[in-house]
Amino acid sequence: MNRLKIRWIIFAGLALVIIISYIIRIDLDTKPSPLVQKSYDYIESLPESTVVMFCFDHEASSLPEIKPIALAMLRHAIRKNLKIIGLSTFAEGTAIGYMLMTKTAQEYGREYGRDYVFLGFRPQHISVFLAMGESISHAFPLDYLGNRVDTIPMMRAVDNYDDIDMVISIADGDRTTQWVEYAGARYHQKIMGGITSAMITSYDPYLASGQLYSVVGGLVGAAEYEILLGTRAAGNRGILAQTSAHIYVIAMIIIGNIVYFRMRKGRG
Amino acid sequence: MKTKIPLAVCLISGVIMFVQYFLSHPVAISIYSSILDWWQIIFAFTLFIGVAGFIKINLQSISRKKDRPYRLIALSGLILMPVLALIGGTEFGSPFLWAFENMLAPLQATVFSLLAFFVASASYRGFHARSIPAAILLVTAVIVLIGRVPIAEMISESFPKITFWVQNYPSMAARRAILIGIGLGSMTTALRVILGIERTYLSGE
Repeated sequence: MNRLKIRWIIFAGLALVIIISYIIRIDLDTKPSPLVQKSYDYIESLPESTVVMFCFDHEASSLPEIKPIALAMLRHAIRKNLKIIGLSTFAEGTAIGYMLMTKTAQEYGREYGRDYVFLGFRPQHISVFLAMGESISHAFPLDYLGNRVDTIPMMRAVDNYDDIDMVISIADGDRTTQWVEYAGARYHQKIMGGITSAMITSYDPYLASGQLYSVVGGLVGAAEYEILLGTRAAGNRGILAQTSAHIYVIAMIIIGNIVYFRMRKGRG
Repeated sequence: MKTKIPLAVCLISGVIMFVQYFLSHPVAISIYSSILDWWQIIFAFTLFIGVAGFIKINLQSISRKKDRPYRLIALSGLILMPVLALIGGTEFGSPFLWAFENMLAPLQATVFSLLAFFVASASYRGFHARSIPAAILLVTAVIVLIGRVPIAEMISESFPKITFWVQNYPSMAARRAILIGIGLGSMTTALRVILGIERTYLSGE
């Protein structure tokens, strides 16, 4: 069989596995990992009206994995009646963050300006992280909708990181690291992450040192968080597809090695 | 003079940013805030340069009749989104957000998801146990792949534990070494730039 044909068979096989995984409905028994449990417990322990910041540090490309994580954590925070400040350090994350926050807030009948605010996007994220440590209304004079931040009711009691209990960075890259390095190191801001599976190991040193409080990682993390929330949503729908894809990749490794050793034996 | 002024600006800025970290005097805070503002302003101009470069490259290709349909789609996208935002605003339910959610986001997610297909193909073609280190890497990859999904515990309770060990000991040791290396390298480079030893940013010399 030629190389192109093999490649096509592998691609078609993976597509088939994923499509079938989304068609059939099997609820996998997902036990929350210690990190997801820690993240959930922390938000659960916060008293009503505590201010938390959600930062959408990602682009649209990672949305299938990032959206379930963001929605699970946002739903929890809004259900707990926490005050939420949203912002983005990527131009693309701005529209996503605003839509996710508005949709979730509407589910629970929350009001813009009183229960949540979306600040929007500013270029050069490191200067934004540092500037918010001095004054949020200076870093963001206007919110996403063009309102003056210092006139928004919820923001009157918020000056800088001293008034924010936790920053939750929803990221598909290393931006959570920069939150730790700048907002965490200089202003002692507590930071939590909602990150893609591929990035989990990058954060292990920060988790081990305690610089990063906790993370909810990948579709598995989202699924575990949903179970703790008591609502199986997009994370749990996607987990079967991810599991099947992992098994498929392992099968490809095994078959590839069998073929390799048979060919090597054939060559002598 | 052409190099002395930028070097002096770099030295003064570098020293100010270093010293202000340890100061809480209002003057130091004011200088620090102004520098942060300027940082954002300069970066905003780089965005303009990026957009201008994008338009220039695409127009050049169109005039040369190279990849014309793709270039036209790229340029129309660049024009369409700001026009939608200017006409209908960017509030919830606006045409801008509709286009973002139903056009841009699925397109980007589609391109990104192609990665899974290349991983599957590469795992068949390239992930072979050619030597003992390659075999160790392969076995570790398989264990972590299984350990990261819910079926791991169904197969064996040891899988998540082994995955945890791999992530928290050998993997983290390597990552810490890299991070410490990056940290030391960054410090050295910063010092070289501030002291004017490293001058490649001036003219590429």
